[in-house]
Amino acid sequence: MTFTIATSVDQAVDALAAGARPIAGGSDLVVGARQGKELLPEDLVAIDRLAELATVERTDTGIRIGALVTHAHLMADALVVAQATGLADAAALVGSPATRNVGTVGGNIMNGSPAMDTGAPLVVLGATVALRSASGSRSLPIGQLWDGPGSTTAAPDELCVGIDLPAIPAGTGSAYVRLEYRRAMEIAVVGAAASVTLADDGSVALARIALTAVAPTIVEVPGITDRCDGRTPAQCAADIGEAASAAATPITDLRASDTYRRHTVGVMARRAFDAAARRAAGESIAVPVNRALGVGEAL
Amino acid sequence: MTVVEPPRFVRADGPDKVTGSGRYTADLTLTGMLHAKFLYAGVPHARITNLDTDAAERIPGVLAVITADDVPDVRYEAPLADRTLFARDVVRFEGEVVAAVAAMTPEAAQAAVDAIVVEYEALPVVLDVEAAMDPSSPLVHPDWDSYETDSMVAGHNVASFSSIAKGDAAAAMAAADTVVKRRYVADSCHAAPIEPRAVVAQWEGDKVTIWSATQVPFAAHSGVCATLGLPESHVRIIVPHLGGGFGGKCGFHFEAHVAALAKVSGRPVKLVFSREEEFRAPDRRREGMIVDLETGLSADGAIVARRAEIWIDNGAYTADAYFFPQLAAMHVAGPYRIPDLEVKAHLVYTNTQPSGSVRAPTAPQACWALETHTDELAASVGMDPVDFRRLNALEDGDEGAAGQVYGEIGLRRCMESAVARAAARGPLRDDEAIGVALGWWPSFPSASGAYLKLNADGTGRIITGAQECGTGAVMTLRQLAADELGMEPEDFQLVYQDTGACPWDMGATGSQTLLNNGRAVLEGAQEIGRQLKDLAADALEAAAADIVLADGKAHVAGSPDRSVTIAELAGTAAGGELLLAAGSGTPPEYPSVPATCVGDHGVAGWAGPQFSCHAARVRVDRDTGVVRVVDVAAAHDSGTIINPIGAHGQVEGGILMGIGQALTEGTRYDDQAHQRNAGLLEYKLQTAADAPTIDTDFIQIPDPNAGPHGAKGLAEAPNVPTAAAISNAIKNVIGTPVRQLPMTAERVWLAGQEVDR
Repeated sequence: MTFTIATSVDQAVDALAAGARPIAGGSDLVVGARQGKELLPEDLVAIDRLAELATVERTDTGIRIGALVTHAHLMADALVVAQATGLADAAALVGSPATRNVGTVGGNIMNGSPAMDTGAPLVVLGATVALRSASGSRSLPIGQLWDGPGSTTAAPDELCVGIDLPAIPAGTGSAYVRLEYRRAMEIAVVGAAASVTLADDGSVALARIALTAVAPTIVEVPGITDRCDGRTPAQCAADIGEAASAAATPITDLRASDTYRRHTVGVMARRAFDAAARRAAGESIAVPVNRALGVGEAL
Repeated sequence: MTVVEPPRFVRADGPDKVTGSGRYTADLTLTGMLHAKFLYAGVPHARITNLDTDAAERIPGVLAVITADDVPDVRYEAPLADRTLFARDVVRFEGEVVAAVAAMTPEAAQAAVDAIVVEYEALPVVLDVEAAMDPSSPLVHPDWDSYETDSMVAGHNVASFSSIAKGDAAAAMAAADTVVKRRYVADSCHAAPIEPRAVVAQWEGDKVTIWSATQVPFAAHSGVCATLGLPESHVRIIVPHLGGGFGGKCGFHFEAHVAALAKVSGRPVKLVFSREEEFRAPDRRREGMIVDLETGLSADGAIVARRAEIWIDNGAYTADAYFFPQLAAMHVAGPYRIPDLEVKAHLVYTNTQPSGSVRAPTAPQACWALETHTDELAASVGMDPVDFRRLNALEDGDEGAAGQVYGEIGLRRCMESAVARAAARGPLRDDEAIGVALGWWPSFPSASGAYLKLNADGTGRIITGAQECGTGAVMTLRQLAADELGMEPEDFQLVYQDTGACPWDMGATGSQTLLNNGRAVLEGAQEIGRQLKDLAADALEAAAADIVLADGKAHVAGSPDRSVTIAELAGTAAGGELLLAAGSGTPPEYPSVPATCVGDHGVAGWAGPQFSCHAARVRVDRDTGVVRVVDVAAAHDSGTIINPIGAHGQVEGGILMGIGQALTEGTRYDDQAHQRNAGLLEYKLQTAADAPTIDTDFIQIPDPNAGPHGAKGLAEAPNVPTAAAISNAIKNVIGTPVRQLPMTAERVWLAGQEVDR
């Protein structure tokens, strides 16, 4: 058993090449090991001190979010709140203050849970994931990262170093809404993210919807822009809900039945779409939407 | 009316618990200490055909592997001895202990547990309480008739039956103008204390000291003596700080298992439960319940008759649940005038975790059924639910369910207070409504004792058998003694939670701590007071009868300047007759009841009956069924309130626990009687972020037949009507009751869908 504290990304990816697994906040890895879900890996490389991966920065093409940015950082970062508001909504709902202070966005997406909160907003925001290994770098659209529950297409020696978000067109808003049975320490029963760009006449020019915890991975509902068909957000909200329910392939488990999930993910999608459209129109809705609009209470 | 006198903070244990300097059982480490692990059945009902521990014993670092063969063959628990420390021949629920291991490390102990070979022949699983009573059902305890019991009325898979019969319910029902008949079903749930239990045992010669996270050290003491065949004088139980209990740590649990491991290994042994073990193994689940209620009304809405039948899931062993049928029967009658009444209640064995006293056993579920039903009764005659209760609720001098006649009671004042304060919190939104429920709960008189002494510097010590489970009741004993002696609570330290040093006590159970120990401490303090006054009389050359104790001094009545400090008197005493006292006091009397009670376990006539009303405002997301409790106005008649901060804390905690039971807490079983959500990920407790605004009013009516200064119990009562009030509020939003508990989001949504169709 080895535990390497990496002082550079190069050192970290070398350790991965030698067979180590990365650990940052440990909020999935350590908790899972303690519950007996999976043993701790024999060899670990701690990446939590790589300061260059812990920043949110403006880039030529949009925003770069380092893999080590915590949920607490994301939910309060001015750039994220302004341009990727749905991601801030999601980060603000993760676990508890303690979880949000140690858990990282890189860990959240690489853990690959279909119930992850940051995944759906990253999909509708058009994120790409930057992966590094000892042999090189590559990036891929985030929707291609996950290939099943707890499973990613990244090779074992690839380290997620960051997430790139494209610049958003004027008149764009995003939101993430989650069904929750209680107000803290909750895991998504279902959730939905929306990104909406409005045309000058107030009609929907572009829209995307992605869903949490209703399929083996985070899934995007295809064809949302077409479905809106140049109508105003109010005119297409009901259709959005129906499309989301139809796209869901949920399971029945302790948290909910498939029937209930299929219904409620439509409700969440409609609410996320509505909040994103209102933000696109310039309305200020505080992060997270769940609290600002009392989601889980009634709108 | 909220309490206006400045509250005093008397939690001596608070800073230790908050800062982390306090020590809990799991924090203890003794030289040479081993670690214990248990092998659990893992199957719900089976005959053990092979149990082989050889391989486990050969694992390095393993010093003891024990089974039923290594302890006396004793069936324990009174008044119904239906279980043994380790499974003998048959296992009856998944969490039953089959073997125990002590080893140098927890890992070695677990490896040894995994190496124990056990083979089973499956037996049919009994899971449904109604089907279990059919003569064709397999029996959970085929040899029940050979068990030692006292006063149980039993039946096929029924451990205990109770009934209340008053008048002629059948005839009155036939004559009623309106009859409403409904079924209500409550899932089982958990106490879920934040500290999983832990036990450390160490032998010196033939005597054993056991540190245990228990609410009832003296019951644990008796359990160890009975199961290991030890004289009482050879056992000592000490409870370090206890990290919550809520009833889940009542009863004798695993102290003897660990003591037996320590005996066999010749080393101190420590057991610390995981969260999952805390869910599966203890015999203290809150019981699931089916309630059938049938009520007849006259045309004006007066209740004229009630018939009810209750099936309580006992689980595999009875623990202390033998009296639950009678208590549940009282709670489906409730604090109402019912001239003709017939209630039958069955405690039914199944192959699930045993049920036992969790905070106000049977009451939250039974009250939820009754009060949901009561709103349905009001609707059936077109009455407002509060007006219906105004018509039917008990008044001073009324006769209750089992014929007890009540004196001055605060029930109606509680209702008017809670209803008015809930309404005053502002207009209702379209998705909001208020629901109202009445509750009641007994106080439990018991023997009790306390020693008091003053030290040479005038500080004091109270030696009490009382157990602090987080309520602050033990801490309040300091206040009672200080008030009696003109001293400050901070002048007293406590010796408590130690069966080797302290007088016997029932434990942190039945809301009895302040009720009974308060009486004992008060009597002890009065004796110290007499001793101080005698000393002061000498010092001040006055008559003892004229001495007043106040502000840390003894002075002559009417002449505050003729005084001597208590510290000076204590210094004088130290050289001669010590300031030393024992108190006990006379417990309140249990009222006798005239109704016919079959299966009587003494809980139909209540000393110090407590009354309450909760009015809950909820908000329902109609699209998803998610319910938020916005605020709760609570009013309680628990007699005189002695420690206002503690009393408010009890009400607030009880309500939050009640919200969990109402909305998110329920154990799910698969068809093989395995708990499916035995952990805090899928068993959803409420969090601080979910807490509503809670506004509490105490209707203080000193009760002459209760505790010190007319106080009644308070720890359990606030847990009784919360789920019921929430149920009625949800109904008021969605248009139909949700007749299943917990009223989860999905169940609320489904009920709403039914209305829409």
